Amino acid sequence: MLFFSFFKTLVNHEVTVELKNDISIRGTLKSVDQYLNIKLDDITVVDELKYPHLSSVKNVFIRGSVVRYVHLPAAAVDTPLLEDATRREAAQTAAKAKQG
Amino acid sequence: MAFFGFDTTLPRDRAAPSSSRGMFDSHDPFAGLSRDAGDDDNVLNFDDTYDGLGNQLEESGDTFNDDTFGADQPVTRQALGRDFDFAGETARVRDTLLEEQVLHNARQPMQFSYAQRPAKPKTGYEAYKEPEYIPKLEADASIWGKPMGRQAELQAPRQEQAAGRKMMSLEEVEAMMRSQPKAAPPAPQTMESQSQGLRDMLGVGIPTGPPSIPAQQQQPQQFPTQILQRPQHPSQAQQMQLPTPDYGHRAPHVLQRDLPPSRPQSQDVHSFPPQQHMDFQQGPTMGAPAVQPPRGPARHQMGHQRGPSYNGPPITQAQQMMNMNAADRETYLAEEAKRAKRNHKIFLLSKNNGLMTPQDKNFITRIQLQQLLTATGGIDNDPGSEEQLAEDFYYQVYAQIRGPPRSGPGQPLNQFAQTYLFQTGSRYGYGRSRHHPRGGDNHVQRMEQQVARAVEAAKARPKNKQLVVEGSLGKIAFSNSKTPRPLLNFKRPDATAKNSAPKETDRKAALRDIEKMYSTLMRLEDHERRLPPPPKEDSPPDVIEGHMKWRSEMQSLNEQLWDSMKVLETQASPSSPHPFIQILSHGKGKKAIPRVFRHLDDQQRLTMLTLIAIHLDSLDVIRDAYPPADNTPLPARVKEEVELFNQAVIPPLFSYINEAPLNIIIGMLGLIIDRVHLQSIVRTKIGLSILTMLISRAELVKQAASSFSPAQHEEWQQWTELYSRLFDIVEPVLPYIFPTDTNIAAADDVHVWQFLATMGVGASQDQQQRLVLGVKDRVMETVAVSKTLPDDMAARRLGDVNLFMRAIGLDVELLG
Repeated sequence: MLFFSFFKTLVNHEVTVELKNDISIRGTLKSVDQYLNIKLDDITVVDELKYPHLSSVKNVFIRGSVVRYVHLPAAAVDTPLLEDATRREAAQTAAKAKQG
Repeated sequence: MAFFGFDTTLPRDRAAPSSSRGMFDSHDPFAGLSRDAGDDDNVLNFDDTYDGLGNQLEESGDTFNDDTFGADQPVTRQALGRDFDFAGETARVRDTLLEEQVLHNARQPMQFSYAQRPAKPKTGYEAYKEPEYIPKLEADASIWGKPMGRQAELQAPRQEQAAGRKMMSLEEVEAMMRSQPKAAPPAPQTMESQSQGLRDMLGVGIPTGPPSIPAQQQQPQQFPTQILQRPQHPSQAQQMQLPTPDYGHRAPHVLQRDLPPSRPQSQDVHSFPPQQHMDFQQGPTMGAPAVQPPRGPARHQMGHQRGPSYNGPPITQAQQMMNMNAADRETYLAEEAKRAKRNHKIFLLSKNNGLMTPQDKNFITRIQLQQLLTATGGIDNDPGSEEQLAEDFYYQVYAQIRGPPRSGPGQPLNQFAQTYLFQTGSRYGYGRSRHHPRGGDNHVQRMEQQVARAVEAAKARPKNKQLVVEGSLGKIAFSNSKTPRPLLNFKRPDATAKNSAPKETDRKAALRDIEKMYSTLMRLEDHERRLPPPPKEDSPPDVIEGHMKWRSEMQSLNEQLWDSMKVLETQASPSSPHPFIQILSHGKGKKAIPRVFRHLDDQQRLTMLTLIAIHLDSLDVIRDAYPPADNTPLPARVKEEVELFNQAVIPPLFSYINEAPLNIIIGMLGLIIDRVHLQSIVRTKIGLSILTMLISRAELVKQAASSFSPAQHEEWQQWTELYSRLFDIVEPVLPYIFPTDTNIAAADDVHVWQFLATMGVGASQDQQQRLVLGVKDRVMETVAVSKTLPDDMAARRLGDVNLFMRAIGLDVELLG
């Protein structure tokens, strides 16, 4: 849930989503769900000349499983908090693993 | 060969008799068929098909053409008569038509949704959307046999379209088009008498509207009925006798639009007081009889223009509206547009009405709720609870720190289910309650029950992730997004076993220590968040007890944290740095200090500070930050660490020292002088900063104290002695404490000037001179360089130098 929790805070920020088929789409993150499916608004494709068929697309829904990277806006990421959140997640996972 | 076996080849292309066939020409088994049928008869010949009518024409029989068409004089309107002046006649009655339209629009503002109906499937519930729904008693149009009403409908849209052409915005045009079907009936009233002739003309009432308005052709079924019923209306005849140029009606019609729509139209018309006619009429009163005669033919010709070939002048409502005063027009158009917008919205919202049955909706709702419950791993994580915070920590805290994201899900995830329910419930409640107040409630109740059941089920769901069905060989593994199905399942060795492993005093150990410190810190912070309200004298005992428990828990956590910092541990070996210093040598270790420092008590802080003082030269930010012999700049990594230390560790230390009594300062400085190689550490930024911190605090205490008690006097004696020792040690290296990796203009040496300034404040006359002597070169160089710099930079450089110069009672200005 860490990533879900994290991406929720990026809603309405501009992100660049790099897909596994090498297309990079920049747009405003509109929503994200627990599968990390992503909804982007006002999108532009980074290499527009290469993918002209996307030039008229204004918003997209991206299935989480096809995302390779999400480029984050650095200013919108609270690194110490994210570190803490990661620690918590790790502690939880460890606790669960110990349980069974 | 064509599909159906017809021979599509032309006779000339046909294959020659089989004897002359080529080698690869296949035999055409059907070839004979068509040939037998008619040989070359199927070649179409003009001569064969021409009926010869043209030959019967008498070429010389145009003798009376001139009589017929009047060739010897120019064709004038007068000469021609008015028999075929369709457009002109139409123009004359145009105003009446327009009035009727507006009137009709005005009467039925609430029924626009009829116009939308053809586009959507009939649900049978449409009528409930009308606020004042009265079931109509209407006869089926098919009783009358001929669907002639359709023709009447066709022309109205066209008129409306023409009206929209002139000066209306898109929205208004939309509004018009939307309202057209309602505007239609007036026209049929006037043309009722012609209907039969018109029908004959158009070929028995088959609607053949212009292709430009296909949507309007599918009119609601009510229209024929209404139209055909009209003639039976007693006031119908009267209405038709209304004076044609009665412009006055328009304004009142527009204004009266809010009349109850259920009111019969023709009554409305006649409900106008007579003097109202007078008020609005232009020129002398024109009685109905006076205008009556021209109307007859006009009406007749209107019948013609409604044919498919209509090309007459546009009958514009715009024209009519131009005759209104500006304000009226404005309000009219605005209202019209608003209404159109609203209707459009209603239309959009309702176009899929009735697609799903309530059962369908329930089903979907159940699935969605189930999804929510699985997605969040059960609803047992109440909003704001520990589990919830654990699940969604980053989002929750981030939202608290930076305020909730602007349009993100405003509530934590687990409130989704409730919010969702609430909204849906209320929507149903409102929508239904108007007609079925009980039904709406029931629905909400049912939904609530459903959620409750779903929650129960989620709670009751087995917590273990595997289920072995009795009698089966396999296992069923549960998984959700939170706890994915484990691919590998093995027991971890206990953490205690790992602890007993031989200690490594390397990087990894330090990192592990840091993580342990962090997790303890987070537990402490969590616990802090759970602070119960402070007990009062009269609080019930359990509250006091709870608070006591919290305090003791806090205490134990604090001890754990202190232990995890390893300040009191001894060095594993003389060669390796102290564990705490190792912690500090990592970035995240440094970052933890301000957070940890809050939770430490005074004694622990002092201990920590002392430890840092003793091990100053093994701190990475000092050990690695000595200026290299070859004057190369420090590695970027070291610079970063120094910067981080300066931002994270120095402030809490500074805040502590700033409140420390003099004896602690003396003790600290003494330790540093005794245990650390001062001449080295003064060449580093952090070393200088710490020294500056201590000395400046001592000076401040000295200045604040006005009179000395004997004990204090003794302390001052001690301090002066210590200061002199420090001065003696530092003096030889004074020229070298400035950073050397860049030229003077860009040097980052504020901290050096600060240090010199604090040294200068406490220095004796003699020491001050020695101080100036030691850094004289640098001062002169900086002043010289600053003259070549741009003004703002020069001012900054000189300001830095002045920190020191002023401290010893000088100024850079004196240096010229």
